[in-house]
Amino acid sequence: MSGEEEENAAELKIGDEFLKAKCLMNCEVSLILEHKYEQLQQTSDDPTNSVSQVFEKSLQYVKRFSRYKNPDAVRQVREILARYQLAEFELCVLGNLCPETVEEAIAMVPSIKTRGRAQDDEAIEKMLNDLSLIKKFE
Amino acid sequence: MQLHPRYFGRNLRDNLVSKLMKDVEGTCSGRHGFVVAVTGIENIGKGLIRDGTGFVTFPVKYQCVVFRPFKGEILEAVVTMVNKMGFFAEAGPVQIFVSNHLIPDDMEFQSGDMPNYTTSDGSVKIQKDSEVRLKIIGTRVDATEIFCIGTIKDDFLGVINDPTTV
Repeated sequence: MSGEEEENAAELKIGDEFLKAKCLMNCEVSLILEHKYEQLQQTSDDPTNSVSQVFEKSLQYVKRFSRYKNPDAVRQVREILARYQLAEFELCVLGNLCPETVEEAIAMVPSIKTRGRAQDDEAIEKMLNDLSLIKKFE
Repeated sequence: MQLHPRYFGRNLRDNLVSKLMKDVEGTCSGRHGFVVAVTGIENIGKGLIRDGTGFVTFPVKYQCVVFRPFKGEILEAVVTMVNKMGFFAEAGPVQIFVSNHLIPDDMEFQSGDMPNYTTSDGSVKIQKDSEVRLKIIGTRVDATEIFCIGTIKDDFLGVINDPTTV
């Protein structure tokens, strides 16, 4: 709890645990939760009673805010973003918000510019273009 | 995980797993946020019998999906309520409040059947069920939920215009 005062996602200060953990984009969580819900439907008569409200709200949320619905597209998005030396957290925010311009991307994830990993504007633009291509052909 | 002896027997592992899920899914903590779903059991250790009760405690290592909002994070949410103090939005299990001080000055509150915030030219409107992109500027965790304060006053924040739904 002592790290709370310094917490700041814009500078990627999110605590060691989360920096090392695997981050999931909304579309990935959607696949996981839907799969789990289907499993529950098979094993119990009334699945709506056996999931918590947190689960239901989360499922609704990620379904509504998934930019990519197709599992292959989701996989491709992760592959593309993985090429750019991003932290898991940054990768997921970009995958979730799908910024259209470099300026927007830097506003959404300021840490991609400040961490000194030589993320120049061209690289960011290429990444965004690749992402929007997947969307077009989904 | 503590288990009563009535659960011992062939289905011990299954009972342990379903009790784990019931107890842990839906809870939240300041450290990890909300536990949304248990996705796998890594390891169940040897059970230790508690003195005097007969309950057995098993250490269980498991994997799960958690939802943890961070200060400074930008995310999308659905507006659930609008009033003259600001609006409430939800991002999954997390509630976020955006005060009218952190709504752009050119948006004004309009009361009525569907209270909303609208720009002077009527081009942008925030009302119940609108989707907005906001930045979290503070979080508070209590026993059962996480509550955040957000802003839409920065660049690229505010109502999401999704061209596919137009």
